[in-house]
Amino acid sequence: MGWGIALSLLPAIALFSAFFVLPLGVVGVTSLADWGPLEFAFSGLENYRLLFSDGTFWAALKNTAFFGVAAACVQVPVGVALAVILSQRFRGWSVLRTVYFLPNIVSAAALALVYVTFYNPRYGLLNQLLAVFGSDGTRDWLFDVDTALPAVAATWVFTAGLVMILVMAEIAAIPPEIYAAARVDGASQWQVTRFITLPLLRNIIGVNLILVLLFSLAYFDGVYVMTGGGPADRTLTLSLYAFQEYSNSNWGYANAIGMLLIALGVLVIIGVRRAFRLGERDS
Amino acid sequence: MTWVVLSSFKTQTQIFGRGDIVPSPFTLDGYRALFGQIDVGGYLLNTLLYAGGGTISALAVALLAAYPAARMRFPFRRTLIVLFSAALAVPIAGLIVPEFVIMRELGLFDSRHGMLVFYTAMWFPLAFVILRSYLTSLPLSIEEAAALDGARYFQLLRLVVLPLARPGLATAGVIIFINIWNDFIFNLLLAPSTEHQNVQVGLALFRGQFRTDIGAILAGTTVMMIIPVIVFVAFQRQVIRGLTAGASR
Repeated sequence: MGWGIALSLLPAIALFSAFFVLPLGVVGVTSLADWGPLEFAFSGLENYRLLFSDGTFWAALKNTAFFGVAAACVQVPVGVALAVILSQRFRGWSVLRTVYFLPNIVSAAALALVYVTFYNPRYGLLNQLLAVFGSDGTRDWLFDVDTALPAVAATWVFTAGLVMILVMAEIAAIPPEIYAAARVDGASQWQVTRFITLPLLRNIIGVNLILVLLFSLAYFDGVYVMTGGGPADRTLTLSLYAFQEYSNSNWGYANAIGMLLIALGVLVIIGVRRAFRLGERDS
Repeated sequence: MTWVVLSSFKTQTQIFGRGDIVPSPFTLDGYRALFGQIDVGGYLLNTLLYAGGGTISALAVALLAAYPAARMRFPFRRTLIVLFSAALAVPIAGLIVPEFVIMRELGLFDSRHGMLVFYTAMWFPLAFVILRSYLTSLPLSIEEAAALDGARYFQLLRLVVLPLARPGLATAGVIIFINIWNDFIFNLLLAPSTEHQNVQVGLALFRGQFRTDIGAILAGTTVMMIIPVIVFVAFQRQVIRGLTAGASR
């Protein structure tokens, strides 16, 4: 049956080599080159030197970091809180779960269009609502340099459905005897959550932190559709900057940004695994 | 989201006139304008082809690899499992230039079959992880009996493993279908001509061309959202199981 196995593995190995291994090699090597559609010349660390003195790059890095911090400090806690609440399984919990998860199912591009409409200064729902409270309701949230970055972040950091689902699955796996024992000892609902549930969720919270931080690094569709990185690069992300440099035929430079994205991704995975002692057993 | 869907049935004056949330009179003008101005049917057909075809071929590639990885011994088995699982963590956003160049060199750039190959490559690792853990958990005796009957490898795979793997295939398939349906960046990057665009790219760019026709834009947004929502509501259990299995790689 040897040839059968080999033949069976072949398509997966071929696709994996062509679309994962080879690109990783290419991006690493060509980040050291002056590369475009017409020319190719090795230039050593020139791209990286340029990158670190490039104001646009630092702006993109800062915005990407802002999204990462917002995801870690809002998306994860909101998702965990919802999971803890819905795990009480009160009447209608599954309907709430479905409704809350829906924005995670819809494409980022469609959600972006929803929010472009929502934030619109002339007919958007936000200004209509604010008008009820007496605001003059003319602010152009996405294109005002003061509000653009938080306005973009607000479109997705509350979309914590995936965190919620993953944490709920983990809570469901906690043996009920633990809770029964705590009740016998007279623990309050809050004490049970604080001292039993949350410590047992350490692993899954770490996994979620990795997921939302990797998502922040790759965040592209939403900004591309909503603001295109503007106004004045206030919402430009690293992945959008890499895409722009690719479009401007600065392929080597785009790849230097790509290498940085990959390095940051690896750092996130290693850092969070260390901090949350992932993969280790609870003592 | 609800507000956008409701507003897509409003008239232009109603959208601009502040106030009522519920459309009255109810109108299909937005949809008429949308379908009249651009080839929404073509975009939807592309998206269905990418999501349907991409899902099926990703599942096929993944099952062919996941079965031996779960149930047989061969050299470098562990290495292969670790590598395919690691593919889930690769930040593809950093690889846009090489993916473009490789697609071009393979003659796959800006074509429908090229997008299919690319989506298959992108999504088979997730199906592999889900299917391998599913196949590992199945009882052993069934396929040994089949092997005693002299069934050869691919017959075994098709007649015994494929039916057994159905729940795992459904779980992985639903997640992958929704993800390909919602793809934006790779369709934008790898198939830029209008006739190869999916509904996400086509309708998001449509907004730029027809800035003033809000009713049409709202109708377009509704069209982009509707299919994944239906799939999710219909296959909720598979979606939740698949997400849980994929994250704890």
